[in-house]
Amino acid sequence: MTTLAPERVGTPARRAALPPARVIADIALLAQRNLIKSVRMPMYIVFSTIQPFMQLVLFVFVFGSIADIGPGMSYRNYVVPAVLVQTMTFAGMGSGVGIARDLDTGMIDRFRSLPIARSAFLVGRTSSDSLRLGVQATLLVVAAMLMGFRFGNGALPAFGMFVIVVMFGLALTTFSAWMGLTVRDPETVQAAMFIPVIPLVFTSSAFAPISRLPGWMQPFAEWSPVTAAIDSARGLALGDEVLYQVNQVHLHTALWHFLLWWVVIVVVFTALAVRRYRLGS
Amino acid sequence: MVAEGLKKRFGDFEALVGVDFVVPEGALVALLGPNGAGKTTTIRILTTLLRADAGRATVSGFDVATQPQLVRAAIGLTGQYAAVDEDLTGRENLVLVGRLCRMSKRAAQERAAVLLEVFQLVDAADRRLRTYSGGMRRRLDLAGSLMFAPEVLFLDEPTTGLDPRSRLDLWDVIVELKDAGTTIVLTTQYLEEADQLADTISVIDEGRIIAEGTADELKDRIGGDVLDLRVHDRAQLDLAVTTLTREFGASESDVTVDRDLGTVVVPIAQGSDSLVTAIRMLDGAGIGIDDLSLRRPSLDDVFLHLTGHAAETRVGAKKRRARIPAGGG
Repeated sequence: MTTLAPERVGTPARRAALPPARVIADIALLAQRNLIKSVRMPMYIVFSTIQPFMQLVLFVFVFGSIADIGPGMSYRNYVVPAVLVQTMTFAGMGSGVGIARDLDTGMIDRFRSLPIARSAFLVGRTSSDSLRLGVQATLLVVAAMLMGFRFGNGALPAFGMFVIVVMFGLALTTFSAWMGLTVRDPETVQAAMFIPVIPLVFTSSAFAPISRLPGWMQPFAEWSPVTAAIDSARGLALGDEVLYQVNQVHLHTALWHFLLWWVVIVVVFTALAVRRYRLGS
Repeated sequence: MVAEGLKKRFGDFEALVGVDFVVPEGALVALLGPNGAGKTTTIRILTTLLRADAGRATVSGFDVATQPQLVRAAIGLTGQYAAVDEDLTGRENLVLVGRLCRMSKRAAQERAAVLLEVFQLVDAADRRLRTYSGGMRRRLDLAGSLMFAPEVLFLDEPTTGLDPRSRLDLWDVIVELKDAGTTIVLTTQYLEEADQLADTISVIDEGRIIAEGTADELKDRIGGDVLDLRVHDRAQLDLAVTTLTREFGASESDVTVDRDLGTVVVPIAQGSDSLVTAIRMLDGAGIGIDDLSLRRPSLDDVFLHLTGHAAETRVGAKKRRARIPAGGG
């Protein structure tokens, strides 16, 4: 056996220092680790991409054949931003599962015992997940366009829609990270997250204009963060006029609601998740 | 490394009632105790993964509560379960840890290559960990803790669940690290492991340290030697206990009886002639002997003596027996 002599690399003080460049480097390293893991699970990527495609087919062609949301707008155009947001929501939930798995395998303990920034693990996770969400959203938009979806508001707002959709997924990622650190068991996390998320998605303007929902449901739907995200995406993709015509809300109102919700969700759940991470078990 | 009065409670369960111990620089101290004694909780506090409810601890001169970042920069930790990433290769795992500890990419790669060789993982270096055996994972996990040659190394039950061959390999590595001057805190439920590796042993049970010292010092607590008897006919077990305790003046509480195995362990003060005495007494009482030996007390005996209950797991404890052919009765 060759020597294990303690040829020390730097001093503790030097290793412990956390200048901003170091924090960013740690985040990048951890994000890179997650991405390598994703790429090495090709079947996971294939299946998690096929699923939203099928939803797109279901809503565009099946429900699209019976749904009528009034003159001047096809159900196809109405529903594509909603399917996008819904996909980001479910994809964002994957973060918590990954984090619970890292807890399970002891990787989090390993990272917590290293001299890295306390936030690096979570930020690394949300960064790599946002990239994953971006790829998924791109694929989905291309598929939607092949199915006849058209942006009606120019290239820049179309890109804005893309940003909104991924941002929403990122917000869900922070919620999911907190759930993962709290619930701790990968299978349970998945099941537990559906409970708040499913009703939130369906009690919104996602698949039908709010005015068509039952009266008791309307107040929930109006204030739902999902409605804010979907209407913002719709307004950006299709134009303010179209949005107002079907949902009686202006783009700037939807955007304002969305940003408010986004900040609240991200700040609250990041703080909760970082706290969980710090405390350990 | 110094720990003073560490306390930790989980709900109603008092995991640590007050743990004190000191590890001098360059020493290897074993924290020995059964499952649930508080070993892992102690290690988690010392490695900043968990906060103590009370007490204080310093590692390499840094306070675990107020300077956790400095503590993390000074330690290496190998936990009870190999904390390695299944989807990465062995090399990638090591390089990731190295780079997170501020090593340059090149330095991390060079160090990883050295460690892979030391831990005999060169052939598997670029395979994903899914294909690794338990022993290989442990070795890689330990290699991860050594990327930057920590000043204090914590090994939490490093050999639990390993086959005997891997255990011995890991012992060699630990001895080498110690010889190279690394301060090591090792927890184990294997008495033999503590006996073989540690400079001093702290025996932990029910959240407190109940004894400290070198293996020999702990054995001396029993005083003298130990007589190990297995009777031929279990019905004569009680008679054997009475006979031996009377002869050697041992109190009943010091004697360990295993009714299933038909064995009696009696601590005795006198030297080697006691073996002859014992045979004469047992023979005189008409007790058939299957096996009789005189030996130095093992840590099993110490643990029993200290806690009144056995350490739960024992692995092939080597007994240095002064065996004599058992006389028939």
